[in-house]
Amino acid sequence: MATRRPDRPAAAAGAPPDSRTIISFHHVDLQYDDQKALADVTFSVTNGEFVCVTGPSGAGKSSILRLIAMDAFPTRGQVIVRGMPASRMNRSRIPELRREIGFVFQDFRLLEDRSVEANIAFAQLVVGQPHRLIMQNVTRVLTQVGLYDKRHRLPCQLSGGEQQRVAIARAMVNSPKILLADEPTGNLDPATAQEIIDLLFRVNDAGTCVFFSTHDHEIVKTFGQRVLVVEGGRLRSDERRRAVDRTASLADHMYRAPAGAAAGAAGSARREPAHA
Amino acid sequence: MPNRAQMRYLAAESLAGFRRRKLTTGVTILIMASALLVLAALTLVTLNLGAVLESARGGLDLRVYLRDDVPAEQLAELRPRLLAIPGVDEVAWIDSEAALAEFRRQLGDDAPLLDLLDRNPLPSSYHVTFTAGARDPQSVRAIRDEVARWAEVSEILFNQDWVEALELWTFRFQMASLVVGLLVFLAAIFVISNTVKLTIASSSRIIQIQKLVGATNAFIRTPFLCEGMIQGLLAGILAMTLLLVCGRLLGASLGGMVFFTAAQTAGFVAFCVLLGLIGSWAAMRKYLTLRSDI
Repeated sequence: MATRRPDRPAAAAGAPPDSRTIISFHHVDLQYDDQKALADVTFSVTNGEFVCVTGPSGAGKSSILRLIAMDAFPTRGQVIVRGMPASRMNRSRIPELRREIGFVFQDFRLLEDRSVEANIAFAQLVVGQPHRLIMQNVTRVLTQVGLYDKRHRLPCQLSGGEQQRVAIARAMVNSPKILLADEPTGNLDPATAQEIIDLLFRVNDAGTCVFFSTHDHEIVKTFGQRVLVVEGGRLRSDERRRAVDRTASLADHMYRAPAGAAAGAAGSARREPAHA
Repeated sequence: MPNRAQMRYLAAESLAGFRRRKLTTGVTILIMASALLVLAALTLVTLNLGAVLESARGGLDLRVYLRDDVPAEQLAELRPRLLAIPGVDEVAWIDSEAALAEFRRQLGDDAPLLDLLDRNPLPSSYHVTFTAGARDPQSVRAIRDEVARWAEVSEILFNQDWVEALELWTFRFQMASLVVGLLVFLAAIFVISNTVKLTIASSSRIIQIQKLVGATNAFIRTPFLCEGMIQGLLAGILAMTLLLVCGRLLGASLGGMVFFTAAQTAGFVAFCVLLGLIGSWAAMRKYLTLRSDI
């Protein structure tokens, strides 16, 4: 499905509200062939934020991720990522941008015929890292995700959670400024999902902006620091919470706490409207 | 410029298609080699026809027969006039007595018949040959027309008919070869392009991941381009080998057949490599974009 770039940038509209802004959407529309995917979406994200984007299937979550990755271009409005406006983005510079973005998907997207180590090294190889640095970096990220001992295994020899950790390691090995996680816990049980979220928090603590898409309300209620709610292609709300209990158990929320208590737990963290 | 690790990867990926799809790749090379064999054979026939034509043109000459009532001194003055015509290489004098002696030799046992004649019926003549650049029917015909207007000349014999027929058929063959060659060229590109499309389709996961981690289009394309070029190279070598074998087998019965020189063979194989490159490029233009299908 092709998308059309706007004829000209959406004026000064896209001016970043803050010098730390890493992603900026300003009145963005996205139209696929005969279907409007996003309408008038405006928000900005600063360096080091952990953002949950949520909404039902087909709401436009993945479209937002595609726009950030410049895998699609707005039909109206302006998207600026790392200071690069989509409207003025030369196609030849897209790889340069993508080296600053890590991707994690629900279906892991690993190379099944290559070992864990080779999967991660591959991300370094294509960006032209010398062999010596590739091995150093692969060892570093594999240690961080706790899979160094399983580096020679094939993806099919790992559990779903382990495969997702490999995917996160691959996403992180090029030290990206932004990590886009599209339903990364969608295929995982609550305990494993918790591990992945913990890992994403650690990635975020190291300074990487994490953009986490999920339709799972429990995850959003439990861990959402900043939550963008998308419905029917429109941004319905953009809320921030001052503090989130990162030690909270997702499994507890899902299996033990009554529905009202779960809502209360999420509400116990103070919420306030986002200013961005 | 790729570093050493990338070069190793690109080399391995370029050959991966051959390893993963032995049958498809093998069939592709065979089909392509067959098409290229036709192309090479047509080229070879054209080359040989050219050689025959060149040899025939070497035989293009004029026999300028002179009137027997013109004084010998005046006839002698024609030689420098003929030599002054651009394109004329040599002018040989054949007097009537020499012509009769030659005729007598040709008649062999029937030569005594000539004794019945009361005078020599053969005129003196000049045998005119031409430089390489002027050995074509059009140039020679122009010279003939000019010389025919001289008062001393009674008749001119010009063996142009069969040369012109040969030229016409060579031209027709070259045109037919061009059309067939063009079809073969397109067919070869189509075959390679489809094989590379298969490779691209079966490599969609790795291409997607390359795009996600920021590989440039050039990096993604290189293994596919190399695969197409290697297929072209192998098909070209196979076609040339088959043609050489056929040439050797036919060579005994077709003495003096011209075969490709080493440089022409290398040129043909290089052309096949180029064909492979174009085929794979055509496949990728449609199937490779920067979209990563997030």
